[in-house]
Amino acid sequence: MNWLELPSPFVRPGHAGPWDALERLRREVDDLFSRAAPRVAPGGAGVLPAINLYENAEGLVLTAELPGMKLEELELSLDGQRLTLGGERRIAQPEGERTSFHRRERRPGKFRRTIELPREVDAEKIQASYRDGVLTVRLPRAASTAPRRIEVTSG
Amino acid sequence: MSLDIQRPEATPARRAESELADREATRPGPLFRPDVDIAENADEVIVWADLPGVSTERLRVGLEDGVLSIDGETEPESASLGTPVYAEYRSGAFQRRFTLSERIDPSRIRATLRDGVLELRLPKAERHRSRRIEVTA
Repeated sequence: MNWLELPSPFVRPGHAGPWDALERLRREVDDLFSRAAPRVAPGGAGVLPAINLYENAEGLVLTAELPGMKLEELELSLDGQRLTLGGERRIAQPEGERTSFHRRERRPGKFRRTIELPREVDAEKIQASYRDGVLTVRLPRAASTAPRRIEVTSG
Repeated sequence: MSLDIQRPEATPARRAESELADREATRPGPLFRPDVDIAENADEVIVWADLPGVSTERLRVGLEDGVLSIDGETEPESASLGTPVYAEYRSGAFQRRFTLSERIDPSRIRATLRDGVLELRLPKAERHRSRRIEVTA
């Protein structure tokens, strides 16, 4: 989630005017601080959805913060060990008469992010789910890299 | 020799600051600040907040003395995910506070949390609604 420690994961398409320049500067400063913060990896992205990666016995699990989207609107592709996550985020606008914004911190727009996975995964067995604005992608190990149990028998 | 040092914590502003710091220090982990959009139309104030990983059970929304508060915690990381190997975000508590200049009708507030986005519709109290004044020739 885009919080105090992390810059917003969403890119804003195009910039116009002095306030955007200020906003961009603020984001850059935020990025610098987030890079300096412990436990947050560098390149923790500023303009793209924030991700976490886990490893377990079955393989890898990637989670990404993508509030307000639909699973159908997300694109996932795997090329070797490169996983690409893309989509477009739309945000609601006020309807009715005499509308105005007091704050605009959420950023709509297209995004595309490629992650180099630390190991080979089985493209056929990838499973994605989406809940409460968090995408979870389960990436089982490729058969060739799965650890094999070696039976030790006493003889 | 006595030094007359004005202790900084004696000023009300400092006191408030240190109280806030104390309160926040009692929380384990960071206090996050979700992104929000706040808009208004003739009839209502609308707030959208990005709250990925937050379920309705872990979200509190309040309106008291014209101050709107949104706070709660994200779902803790499930151990079933495995060992973290790379992290750009983490779970924890979050909070935002806003002072509303409009008078709100509390009985008609609607809050919806869907796919990690909170939508709050805060209808303006009747007498605070802006009215178009018809000018006739």
